[in-house]
Amino acid sequence: MSAKVIVRDLRKRYDGVEAVRGVSFTIGAGEIFGLLGPNGAGKTTTVECLIGLREPDSGDLEVCGLDARRQPREVKERIGVALQSTSLQDKITPREALRLFGTFYQKRAEPLELLERFALKEKADAAVDTLSGGQRQRLALALAFVNRPELVFLDEPTTGLDPKARHELHGAIAQMKRDGCTVLFTTHYLDEAEELCDRVAIIDHGRIVATGTPRELIAQSAGLQSVVLSTSRPLPRGKLAALPGVRDVVSDVDEPTARFSTSNAMETLAALTRLLTESRAELLDLHVHKATLEDVFLGLTKRDEGGGSQGRQGEGNS
Amino acid sequence: MNALFAHLGVSLRLHFRNKMALLYGYLFPLIFLVAFWVLYRHEKIPLLRHMGELLTVAVLGGACFGLPTTLVSERERGVWRRYRLTPVPTWVVVTSTVIARYLIIFSAGLLQLGAALAIGMTLPAHPFDLWLAFTFVSFAFIGLGLVIATLADNVPAVQALGQCIFLPMLIIGGVAVQLASLPLWAQHVSAFFPGRYAVEALQACVSGRGFMGARFSLLALGLVGVAGCLAGAKLFRWDAQQRFATRSGKLWLLPALAAWGAVGLLAEWRGRIAVAVDAEPAPHKSPVAPSTIPPKAAEPPVPAPAPVAMPVIPVPKPLPPPPEPLWSKITDKDIAGLDYNVPPDQGIVSPMAGPDEEPEDFMKEQVDGVRSKIATWPPGADGDDLRCIRNLLYVAAVPDAIQMPVERYLPRVVYQHLLDTYPKDKLTKVLTYIALHPEEGMVIDDISDLGIEGAAGDQLVVRERAYLYAIKFIARLTGRVNE
Repeated sequence: MSAKVIVRDLRKRYDGVEAVRGVSFTIGAGEIFGLLGPNGAGKTTTVECLIGLREPDSGDLEVCGLDARRQPREVKERIGVALQSTSLQDKITPREALRLFGTFYQKRAEPLELLERFALKEKADAAVDTLSGGQRQRLALALAFVNRPELVFLDEPTTGLDPKARHELHGAIAQMKRDGCTVLFTTHYLDEAEELCDRVAIIDHGRIVATGTPRELIAQSAGLQSVVLSTSRPLPRGKLAALPGVRDVVSDVDEPTARFSTSNAMETLAALTRLLTESRAELLDLHVHKATLEDVFLGLTKRDEGGGSQGRQGEGNS
Repeated sequence: MNALFAHLGVSLRLHFRNKMALLYGYLFPLIFLVAFWVLYRHEKIPLLRHMGELLTVAVLGGACFGLPTTLVSERERGVWRRYRLTPVPTWVVVTSTVIARYLIIFSAGLLQLGAALAIGMTLPAHPFDLWLAFTFVSFAFIGLGLVIATLADNVPAVQALGQCIFLPMLIIGGVAVQLASLPLWAQHVSAFFPGRYAVEALQACVSGRGFMGARFSLLALGLVGVAGCLAGAKLFRWDAQQRFATRSGKLWLLPALAAWGAVGLLAEWRGRIAVAVDAEPAPHKSPVAPSTIPPKAAEPPVPAPAPVAMPVIPVPKPLPPPPEPLWSKITDKDIAGLDYNVPPDQGIVSPMAGPDEEPEDFMKEQVDGVRSKIATWPPGADGDDLRCIRNLLYVAAVPDAIQMPVERYLPRVVYQHLLDTYPKDKLTKVLTYIALHPEEGMVIDDISDLGIEGAAGDQLVVRERAYLYAIKFIARLTGRVNE
């Protein structure tokens, strides 16, 4: 599998703060690759460096076999991008927008073909400000495909959409893979990443802390079970962490909800019952389930709030 | 090139779909046009003397508000960020945006011109030159608009910055208030504003000598435009997250500021601070006069000194009888037939203070100075009565044309002096003759000998105001107006 994207030791600093600290990863041709991370982790900066919106401080960026730092225009001819932070004029219509953006590229798709593919034919001549959120997002995707790209960057494409629109967009992204397109997308929805991505990279504090298929990452948590509980009053985090088998406690001081992983659910729950009695806290809700990608993500990104995650760096920078 | 034309087409279409843009781009200049029409309704050719100002207002609005508002709002929405994700070079999108704006401003200018023609303005004297001058003016202000778009981080900031430039340009920059009516310090300041050169260049093409009469103004506008476009292009921002305060390369603002300074200093050096002669109207074929004016009669010649010659026959010849003055043939019918429908005394055009009205303290010295000098002022004291009385009317007309604060009080001084100097019957006839022949005689547009500084610039207006004061004086002399 040839690589469509190769990132080596990417670094970017803003006003003395290092937003990206030596990020490296590779995306193979035809892969759907998810870049996951909390807000401020560095995923947007990484994507913006790749698509030519920002100049990195150092590092190598290879996109579609081209040096993205030296040949940004050539790279832009071969990639499609749908960013959340971009928009169109209120009064432009989807047909006009697709026609306009088509003139910006050497290779271009017919507007009608894209309108049909992204189910916008009925709204082809409606002003953008009359489109629903899902229709606007589909138009953004259609614009990303206006130059028949080899590689598509999607920045949180489903944020703010209702479940139906999300489902439709998932279908569109899956279709991209079937068409042989390589996709890099960022998302906050880990179920979405688990469903759509061939591989994911989790980024935190400007560093990749884990890379692999969703199954591989979940498997790293094999044997662990996830516990989520709500109580009538907050339980001390230290006491929760001291329960047998418990790791990765996530809780806020004033919040009566806590989340942790355990290697021995039976022992942990027995001890938890005693803790509840001692604390005179009433148990309102309790869920125990096998670890998901979300649990892995939370475990990796919340481990060390102060100094940054040091977790599973380098696991398969494939 | 396809991308440029496609973006140009979309920009124009989107402009015409934006109701607010249409409101500001077309209605706003038309409101100015109507306001000027009402304000100067007594001018014989409507708006001819004000097209330079009106077209400048249209360009200013479109370039200094419309352009940066569009650029900044699209930048805030992320439209420009979206363009940046494509391989199209920056200059393509910026150039098509600028061309679109020029075409929008041009259409607004055409609309204004069309409206002015519809209400009776004559065709511009130099249409091709006017288009060329309009292009220079648009270029200069579009450069300024680009600079505003780089300075402003959001749309409210565009409005604030635009007002900071728009209002001074209107008030002391020679755009909405005639330069001649401004104090000298303001005329010096106006030399540093491109608005002054815009008005001068456009007006020279509407009613003056055309392109040849506006070379300095066009040079100034070109310089301001080049510097503005250079700074605007160098400081261009794609991204709303890039704040102006934190970005590098701010020194590129210097050329834009330096151009304004250089133009002002050049004007000072060349002594172009007083009202430019080239902005004055060209002579018109049809005289500006009321429709009741009878055929033009020649001014009685000033008696020339008799040549010294030795008579062949030493028999003294009787001197020929002096020619009968032209005004002596004025009849009561002529006086009654005048059009007494003149602007009110309290208005802006030909105002006149009441007999007991005293000037404010700061004007007293000026008014008293005129009162003390007027009796011995040579143009009003030497020569035939018709010439003197006409010249004295200019003492009232010039401050009115310049719109000076003393304009209300000097007509009263002149009227009183005329009453003190001439019999009522004779004065009425002479004034009637002047009112019936306003185009005759030389115009005095500078009365600095009487302590009133400033030149009216437009002789046509001075003649018109002298006519209006002649009518007002006759109305008083004949009891049509009782005081």
